[in-house]
Amino acid sequence: MRVSEIMTKDLTAVEKDISVRELIFILNSADISVMPIVDDDGVLIGIISEKDLIKAALPGYFEMLHSTSFIPDLNQFSTKLAKIARDPIERYMKRDVVSIAVDDDDLQAADLLIRKNLRSLPVIDKEGRLAGVVRRIDLLRNLL
Amino acid sequence: MIITVTLNPAIDKIYWVDRLRIEEEAQEEFLTRAVRSQTSAGGKGINISIFLARLGVENVAMGFVGGHTGHVVVRDLRDEGVTTNFVWVEGETRTNVTILERGREFIPIMVSEEGQAVSPVEMERFMRRYKRIVRRADWVILAGSLPPGVEPDTYRVLAAQAQAAGAKVAVMAGGTPLARVLAAGPDIVKPDTREHLVLENTHLSTRERIIAVGRKVVEHGVGMVVISHEVVGDLVITKDGGWDIESRVPATRFKNLVGADDALIGGIVYKLHSGAPLEEALRFGMAAGIASAESEEKLCNDVDEISHEMERITLTPLGGKDAGK
Repeated sequence: MRVSEIMTKDLTAVEKDISVRELIFILNSADISVMPIVDDDGVLIGIISEKDLIKAALPGYFEMLHSTSFIPDLNQFSTKLAKIARDPIERYMKRDVVSIAVDDDDLQAADLLIRKNLRSLPVIDKEGRLAGVVRRIDLLRNLL
Repeated sequence: MIITVTLNPAIDKIYWVDRLRIEEEAQEEFLTRAVRSQTSAGGKGINISIFLARLGVENVAMGFVGGHTGHVVVRDLRDEGVTTNFVWVEGETRTNVTILERGREFIPIMVSEEGQAVSPVEMERFMRRYKRIVRRADWVILAGSLPPGVEPDTYRVLAAQAQAAGAKVAVMAGGTPLARVLAAGPDIVKPDTREHLVLENTHLSTRERIIAVGRKVVEHGVGMVVISHEVVGDLVITKDGGWDIESRVPATRFKNLVGADDALIGGIVYKLHSGAPLEEALRFGMAAGIASAESEEKLCNDVDEISHEMERITLTPLGGKDAGK
């Protein structure tokens, strides 16, 4: 099957200049964890996830720790998150996006989702514009 | 590509009851049990999107959704194969209730909620999305009421942007949003006369008045006006004339009028988009509307049924006795 036959036909995407606060609202409302970012023509230019936001709000030394037991509470995280809430998301987005084309086959989509350990994969048309998204559940639903 | 815009979508909840007891001075509470119920994504543009998708036409549904009911709307559309492109807002997408009493289904009882308010920031988010996608559209269908917080001029702005991008525009609306959009000169206008029976300061009560108003609107640049004049008839007015479209189906055969008007406009746009001549598009649209009204389901997409219905529809050119009225 082609990717266009199994993908979720949803064009939910944001622009790179929206704030972190806006993005959190949209992620929560739409119940998604990864958001495609597009330009004025709808061309996919990046991606941002909950994980990217958490990483941005964590204290700088966090990655050096082997355990969170040294951290007394989430106050520092909360303070940093409040500090970046008005920042444009382009500061934290990933520009090297793994995507798949509408005419590719489902095996390629499965390969990318599994090997790259992705929750979802943006689907683009011939012009590079967002056309939908393939989630792990889309594969399972269509292959059963 | 066809884009439908439903700024105030809804969950359509339909109850079928054997008998609806409404007494003006009821002394005690009473219970009416539904023999059947149905819940589905609704709103004029959304119904059109579903109608088109079932006919195999790729289309994108846009608008605002919120809360649990917003998820139901989006899910229903995706299950139907419609591409979704909604802006999420605070609050909950509204629910519209219709009660159909056995034997009197052609007189439905309808209760519509106002809809969740839309903030200027949320409207700006929608406009950015709309500008992004409208340049790829062949047709844009602007349909239904506007939610609180949205300017009454919005349809005019959206229609003008679609036309500037080279798309054709159809509008189904009533009241001030309809009055304002006329200035943009959409290709098709279908006034929603359920609440607002006035257009261009004229009460659309008689056939003569409808034709006169239709001609006035067309003179201002609108391509075509479709106005329901009886349950089984519509008047279509264009700059070159117009038609009286009638079905020979008695209204008492109608089982569910929810969505019938949407199938009418969906059918017309479907045919025009595929290059059919206007008369064929009108006949198909009317047949789709009548077939939907005759079906218990909200929309009839059975092409055989619609084709059968087309044979029972007459298109009479407006002329002679209608001239100058």
